[in-house]
Amino acid sequence: MKPEVTATDSSSPAPLVVLLLSGLLWLVASGLLGLTASIQLHSPRFLSDCPVLTYGRMGAMAETAFVYGWLANAGLALALWILGRLAGEPLRAQNWAVAGAVFWNLGVAAAVAGVATGDATGFALLGLPGYVHMILLFSYAAIAVSGILAWHGRLRQVSYASQWYAAAALIVFPWILSVAHVMLFSAPARGVVQAVTAGWYAQCAWTLWLAPLALSVAYYVVPRVTGRVLPSYEFAALGFWCLVFVGGLTGGRHLLGGPVPAWIASVAVVSSALLLFHVLIVLLNLRGAFSGGGLSLRFVAFGIAAYAVGALGDAATSFHAVAARTQFTYFDDAARQLALYGAVSAMLFGGIYFAVPRITGRAWLSGGLVRAHLFLTIAGVLLLVGSLCGAALVQGRDLSDPAVAFSAIALHTRPWLVAATAAQAVLLLGNVALAMNFIGTGCGILNVSEPASFNPPAAMEARAP
Amino acid sequence: MRSNVIFLVGLFAALGISWTGIVLGSHAQLGFLPPYYDDNQGTSFPQWMPGAAAQGQLVYRDLGCAACHTQQVRRPGFGYDQARGWGDRQSVARDYIYQPFPQLGLSRVGPDLTNLADRKPTAPDEEDLLRMLYAGSEDMPAYRFLFEERRVGVGAQHSDLALNLTGALEPPRGREIVPSARARELVAYLLSLRTTYDYPEAFPYVPPKAEGAAAPAKTGGEK
Repeated sequence: MKPEVTATDSSSPAPLVVLLLSGLLWLVASGLLGLTASIQLHSPRFLSDCPVLTYGRMGAMAETAFVYGWLANAGLALALWILGRLAGEPLRAQNWAVAGAVFWNLGVAAAVAGVATGDATGFALLGLPGYVHMILLFSYAAIAVSGILAWHGRLRQVSYASQWYAAAALIVFPWILSVAHVMLFSAPARGVVQAVTAGWYAQCAWTLWLAPLALSVAYYVVPRVTGRVLPSYEFAALGFWCLVFVGGLTGGRHLLGGPVPAWIASVAVVSSALLLFHVLIVLLNLRGAFSGGGLSLRFVAFGIAAYAVGALGDAATSFHAVAARTQFTYFDDAARQLALYGAVSAMLFGGIYFAVPRITGRAWLSGGLVRAHLFLTIAGVLLLVGSLCGAALVQGRDLSDPAVAFSAIALHTRPWLVAATAAQAVLLLGNVALAMNFIGTGCGILNVSEPASFNPPAAMEARAP
Repeated sequence: MRSNVIFLVGLFAALGISWTGIVLGSHAQLGFLPPYYDDNQGTSFPQWMPGAAAQGQLVYRDLGCAACHTQQVRRPGFGYDQARGWGDRQSVARDYIYQPFPQLGLSRVGPDLTNLADRKPTAPDEEDLLRMLYAGSEDMPAYRFLFEERRVGVGAQHSDLALNLTGALEPPRGREIVPSARARELVAYLLSLRTTYDYPEAFPYVPPKAEGAAAPAKTGGEK
């Protein structure tokens, strides 16, 4: 039997630990920012006297810290780890990855500070001020060098689905960021073309960068934990190419009925429906996740379910009749939280719970904290998305009745928004549990002289109750 | 998948298609949109924003106002935009060609602002907007940091710009609330928001009735 912890793992903890640790710190920070923004949404006077903490900036800071701090760091760490493992050799160019990780986090910190002091851009998912783009671009490329070398130098010629998704994410992000930088910042396009470009960037960042990072984890963890070959695996390539070709075209959904030519929204509506084919294949391949044991698998299973529900919701709300009601409401927030938190983060959590014992060679410090985190994540995401959908229904109904004033809408949505704040607090608690557990487990890394050469896989799983 | 080359070429082709199709396609169609010259009025539309308003758009962007306010009106028959009095026609791409940072927005926690300066029956004036920014409300945060509290009295002259506040907002004796330059720029921007000129493309096309023929089916979403 092959040892569960191989030389591939024990020889490459440095970049992974730097990325994961900074990712978890950003996760907690973005939780605090998101909680504040969520309170301000129903109590606008909360902390409104300080320009740094005003609602418009707070939301952008929370999103930047979440996407570029947490999702990018954790996703990159797991992508490097998976690519290294599937390549069958220790990661190369580790110094590049470490240096890249340090500068990436400096860049994200500069971006958050920039938004706080008044350099917000106002674009969804691209709150990064223009001046940090270059540092992010080069540090991302430096991190990606390690992964691309592992992918290119793999010992087996055949590659697996998780490798495709990870490699695609590593390659695509610098391209879309540079396009956005040129067309929005260094030579801004005219008028609404900016909105189209920003929508394209946001959609590509979701479908071609964040979702592939998460799917790479899911495609790796599910067969490893269940110990079974993925069913209908021959369709996986079709699912991958469907996402890659169609995903980038769905960017105009939010511009339905807006001041842009109708074809932009129409292409997006058709593509959102086509994307369901990709989701179907993912479900078909990974359905084993819903029957297996182990806590990391439960995180992944929840993430896959959220991914499928989110894609259905996106396709449903792009119909004209539905969009007339849901457009510009809290439904948009609900969909974003379901995608970024319910789908991507949950799969990354599962990947972290699977990977860290193998990277560090020791089991998780506390199984109880892992179980608590699973419970808090599922409860928090369901409550958050549910309450935002409830608020969206009330808001959509009230908005379409011109007799209802905005102060009345605020009053009617308030209970739902208070529930959303509670959900943010629950999620923050869960993430603090993960960060504590990670730091506690990781503290032992430094004094391990001999890497554990064999650990039975069972000892590494945080057991389900 | 065995070949790295096929993988890379496929990936670049996929991203290239969406980039050329969506981004460059819309750039080719709209990126060089000229203003519309009206022969009757002898001038072209849209008109440039006044300087103070262009400054104010930067304040609007930096405070993240677009997080709660949209600046796009949907066409009659699609949504509630006309019923709420936000504009008689839909917003079109030409409305935005002179805006360095178009703030279309994605969320309507607050009202749409496309035609704020042309609201019926009464549009807010500068003082209304300044007071709204200072006071905030149950559904909008206050922006007190855009105002200064100054001393008045012996040796400190009363400012012409001071807000006329009453009730709970009234400053203590010997004090007055004066809007900062940023507040006045923001308000100048808000007061510049109006899309009153009707471009030909802003209305759905209705084919003319042929003489003696049956009425053609209506196209578009005209009410």
